[in-house]
Amino acid sequence: MRTDTVIIGGGLSGLTCGIALAKRGQRVTIVASGQSTLLFNGGSMELLGNIDGIAVTTPLEAIGTLPQSHPYSKIGADKIAGLADEAKQLLADAGIDMEGNASANHWRITPMGVAKPAWLTLKENLRIDDLDKLPAKRVALMCIRGYFDQPNGMLAQGLRELGFDVKAIEFTTDDITSLRRSPSEMRATTLAKRLISNSALQRIADQINNLSDDAELVLLPSVFGQTDATDFQTLQSMVKKPLRFVATLPPSVAGGRIQALLRHYFKMLGGNYLMGDSAVSGQFDGDKLLGVTTAKLGDMPLKANNFVLASGSFISRGLVANYERVFEPVFDLDVDADGEREQWTRFGVLEPQAYSRYGVATDNDLRCMKDGKPIQNLRAIGSVLSGHDAVKMGDGTGVSMLTALAVTKGIISGK
Amino acid sequence: MAERMQLCNISDNNFEQCTKCSICTTVCPVAAVTTDYPGPKQAGPDGERYRLKDHAYYDKALKLCLNCKRCEVACPSGVNIADIIQHARMKAGEGQRASLRDTMLANTDLLGMVANLVAPVANATLGLAPTKLVMDSVMAIDKHRTFPAYSRTKFTTWFKRHAAKEQDAYPNHVSYFHGCYVNYNFPKLGQDLVKLMNAVGYGVHLLDKEQCCGVALIANGLYKQAKRQARTNADSIRKSVKDDHLTVLTTSSSCTFNLRDEYPSLLGVDTSDVRDGIMIATRFIYNLVDEEKIKLIFKQDFKKRMAYHTACHMQRMGWQLYSIELLRRIPGLDLQVLEQECCGISGTYGFKKENYERSQAIGSILFKHIEDAKVEAVITDCETCKWQIEMSTGLPVENPISVLADALDVEATRRANGLQI
Ligand SMILES: Cc1cc2nc3c(=O)[nH]c(=O)nc-3n(C[C@H](O)[C@H](O)[C@H](O)COP(=O)(O)OP(=O)(O)OC[C@H]3O[C@@H](n4cnc5c(N)ncnc54)[C@H](O)[C@@H]3O)c2cc1C
Ligand code: SF4
Ligand code: SF4
Repeated sequence: MRTDTVIIGGGLSGLTCGIALAKRGQRVTIVASGQSTLLFNGGSMELLGNIDGIAVTTPLEAIGTLPQSHPYSKIGADKIAGLADEAKQLLADAGIDMEGNASANHWRITPMGVAKPAWLTLKENLRIDDLDKLPAKRVALMCIRGYFDQPNGMLAQGLRELGFDVKAIEFTTDDITSLRRSPSEMRATTLAKRLISNSALQRIADQINNLSDDAELVLLPSVFGQTDATDFQTLQSMVKKPLRFVATLPPSVAGGRIQALLRHYFKMLGGNYLMGDSAVSGQFDGDKLLGVTTAKLGDMPLKANNFVLASGSFISRGLVANYERVFEPVFDLDVDADGEREQWTRFGVLEPQAYSRYGVATDNDLRCMKDGKPIQNLRAIGSVLSGHDAVKMGDGTGVSMLTALAVTKGIISGK
Repeated sequence: MAERMQLCNISDNNFEQCTKCSICTTVCPVAAVTTDYPGPKQAGPDGERYRLKDHAYYDKALKLCLNCKRCEVACPSGVNIADIIQHARMKAGEGQRASLRDTMLANTDLLGMVANLVAPVANATLGLAPTKLVMDSVMAIDKHRTFPAYSRTKFTTWFKRHAAKEQDAYPNHVSYFHGCYVNYNFPKLGQDLVKLMNAVGYGVHLLDKEQCCGVALIANGLYKQAKRQARTNADSIRKSVKDDHLTVLTTSSSCTFNLRDEYPSLLGVDTSDVRDGIMIATRFIYNLVDEEKIKLIFKQDFKKRMAYHTACHMQRMGWQLYSIELLRRIPGLDLQVLEQECCGISGTYGFKKENYERSQAIGSILFKHIEDAKVEAVITDCETCKWQIEMSTGLPVENPISVLADALDVEATRRANGLQI
């Protein structure tokens, strides 16, 4: 099977790249072995959130200070602003309405109630532009009875520390009570599938209107809006006070929707999305990749002029560690990683971890290196790249989208 | 040390690979519509830990699983969730007898054979209001269901009478596992395949002995019978692939998945040596076209707008690409590829009264997408999806092979492939 480009990995980076190429008329195949880390995303994108533990307020400026090994530096710091605008537009075209801009970070609120710098946030989510000027003082934090994926105590405490006057209010409706029969599966995504009828939303709105007395802002866990934002709009029209969603622990409804909308848009543009298949090996001719064999297509490899590796980090199996080494499992590409196992991790989950900066080695055009030489038509994007740290630097989603758009330009121009 | 540690961590099914991310639960069509079902994570890897200790932890709700495999497709860690669930069900079902209703639904070929002899009567009676009511109350087959119509002439009879003789004259050859649906309900699909393959220079041959693949037997707990039939089919397929060097083509995604993957994983009937020789016809044809070994020429005046629905088992095999890409080659076809959703029927599941409402609730998302697509017909590789979609949307549903055969300019294609017309 031949298309112009084959992308390995169907997460944020693979889909961004696939959409951008398909829009320019390319025929693209994406092979994705499973769902992606977007299911962990609460509804925000980050360009650059922290450098050495200090929050970044103006990411475009801060990007200029990053070392040459960082993917942003390889793309070129001067190109970031333009690519960031393009990324925001691509999301909007796919039906994902986000607010924010690359010149100044705003704050998103994590499920644990911590404010983190962000670049873009879904319109319906709580977003704070300036921590000294909160959007409201008195907030009603509505907590769904029996729903575990929102640690309400920590969230309320975190919001109080930011200066909100928080009242945590537990509530339920008949619809929600009936869902509790299977408490182990009372997850955000299950709620979102069930709480869709206008009457179910009205019963929730009634509870909120009864219980939220003098609050100026109502916060509700983000368990609505499986396919689009209309459930939020419906709820807001029923709730008498301004309403915002707060992110929940994964699996996240907002992240699932972003994934589904991007995939849908990609398919609308004529792209092939092979869900549940995985790339297992490649056929090379010198420094050129000719084809990729997948587990399910078997003896019919995916052939293309260009290939893009968007297979994610360890959690998505884009990188694998065994007892001896860290490696890239499909092509055995060169990786930037420490050799000694003791150096990979540090004790304490919240400590900066060396392994989170590991990834495949690339040249300045993000071409993958194998045996010290770049493969001419294989580029890497997103979290499989080395030199960045989604957890500690808050640059994961930005790197995913911007590297995807940057290699698109390389592929189209034939450079 | 490294090797030893790995060994400790490997079970028959790979439930230990589960990282508890819950992604599977987000795609399970059953968990989405009922709280009676605990969802794939709980029913599969989580429950397995308990069941390993003591099978008394088996939860009857596992019967609600459709075996649609969407959970497996979504799992980032490659856990064979639905297999784990099916095995637990098989273990729980050992020594129990299936009900008359389940036996009847499961024996698609037996039912087909009888109905076939009396097709006009069967079609009339199975569709009649009083019969439906009896089936509903006595047999617990939901009254809303329409049984697929039975054909008067079996596919095999037609083939022997009208097609078999000339097949040897073609330069290349394949075998065809037609399945119960083609044989008893819809011979036209088999005829379309013969027409298409012949036009590109391939003679089509039946297997020495074909029995129902048994997908419905497995779903209804008739494992012994399923195993017997699987052995017969495996032998015939082996003869075709190994001795005669003929690839075995199919036109049903569920039969195909069953023959290739469920025979070894659920029934313990090893087909791994011939697995690569069994494939859905669109894959075989696509490959020939891609390698420029054959040419397809389509009619100038074929103009249709149709939607492609990826059947769950087709997605599990990862082969929808072949059907879609072949269909895209038809110039007059405006093809809308639908988001993958489960139609809710899952073979015989939706025929059972206790499942009817759930089945329709599951399918409602797909039906809405079909309605929004504004098409004149739907295309899918699975016959039970076809029944469900036809009943629920009123639109006709066709197999990709029939659409290709319909759009094909047979004479021009035969000529382009160097055949005497
Ligand atoms: C728990 C967690 C929380 C995070 N939180 C944030 C956050 O708050 N903010 C932020 O900016 N970033 C966050 N990140 C990082 C962020 O998710 C990533 O930076 C970004 O979304 C990665 O996108 P990606 O497409 O590069 O990779 P992924 O999302 O990992 O997608 C990789 C895809 O490739 C597929 N794949 C892998 N190998 C193969 C193969 N051989 N064949 C076919 N397909 C394959 C996988 O199945 C998957 O679909 C978080 C990550 C994790 C794990
Ligand atoms: S998707 Fe896979 S890894 Fe995640 S909970 Fe389900 S079985 Fe476990
Ligand atoms: S096979 Fe289908 S119905 Fe069964 S658990 Fe998996 S997703 Fe749910």
